Amino acid sequence: MLIVEDNELVTGALRILFEETGRRVTVAHSVAEGVAAGENDPPDLLLLDLSLPDGDGLDVASRLAKLGVSPRATVALTGRDDPASLQRCSNAGVTEVMVKPVPTAELLTKATQWLAAR
Amino acid sequence: MDEDSRLVAVEQLYQQAVAEIADMRGRDALKTQFLANISHDLRTPLTAVITHAEILRDGMLGKLNNRQMESIKGIIAGGRQLLEQVGEILTYARAAGNQLTLSPSTFHFGEVVSQVTQINESLLAKKRLQLHLHVPEDLPPLFADREKVAHILGNLVGNAIGFTPPDGRVWVRAVAENRELTAEVGDTGIGIAPEYHDLIFEEFAQVDSTASRQHHGTGLGLTIARKLVELHGGRIWVESELGGGSRFYFTIPYSGNAT
Repeated sequence: MLIVEDNELVTGALRILFEETGRRVTVAHSVAEGVAAGENDPPDLLLLDLSLPDGDGLDVASRLAKLGVSPRATVALTGRDDPASLQRCSNAGVTEVMVKPVPTAELLTKATQWLAAR
Repeated sequence: MDEDSRLVAVEQLYQQAVAEIADMRGRDALKTQFLANISHDLRTPLTAVITHAEILRDGMLGKLNNRQMESIKGIIAGGRQLLEQVGEILTYARAAGNQLTLSPSTFHFGEVVSQVTQINESLLAKKRLQLHLHVPEDLPPLFADREKVAHILGNLVGNAIGFTPPDGRVWVRAVAENRELTAEVGDTGIGIAPEYHDLIFEEFAQVDSTASRQHHGTGLGLTIARKLVELHGGRIWVESELGGGSRFYFTIPYSGNAT
């Protein structure tokens, strides 16, 4: 799986969470890093923060799609739950939008569901 | 000074006042935007704190003894409380900047009452407060923003619990009349002196800082409740006296209702 989030405190926590439950985790901190990492090692699950230092997190998904990389699930993890942000995610076709902080138990259950679906 | 020059002087003072008001409004808007930004920025490190603590709590990095577990649960509870307060500040900032919009749906007010009372069950039990619900099942459904109505009720019920001493009573009553729903949240708590009845709905105002500190308030709960009620075209007010408990009322119009 690929986590694209600029805050290292958050990626540090998510990395432990997912690695301890047996997933292989790659972390990227910008749109450019995310696209490069996803192209290099296509993820089954893509977790995206919306506001990244070099642009919109949703661009990672669209740029990877153009490169032929389509994860089984793309999930937006965001601090912004305003209607405009939610609508943007829905337009971009993400599997689910979750407002940070998502309880860890819920995140793990959902991750299993996302990967089992499709 | 003749009449003309006096008029010129008054005109100058007026223009000066207009410019100062515009300047202050500008600063107020900046401050509100700052509040919105800082609330977003606070959520990110809080996410890290809470996620790490939950990883430890769930034993993913090894089993904890009882004291360690108690300590970790304290970190999570503190983090979530902080997060909730940050959320309140964000809602306030959005309301102040007129950035809140309604997402209406059709629902029964009773469902919202159940949701809010369920969230508050443990707090009620901790203070041994009796909760009485008088919400008729045959109330016509509302066409309103369910989440925001729950927010209004949640803030009022939270205050009722917070400002009522142990073994007291809290109630929620609802009636539909004159094409609006009127909800009452009452308590047998410390009450509010009449001279504060308007002030408490203003930003950051708290009547008694000692009681409020015990209640962990941001001082924004009633301001937010008022803004959310007004966004629906309703009204909110209080009837209370010092030592005589409080009864908060709000209305949500049935106009545009699906019924």
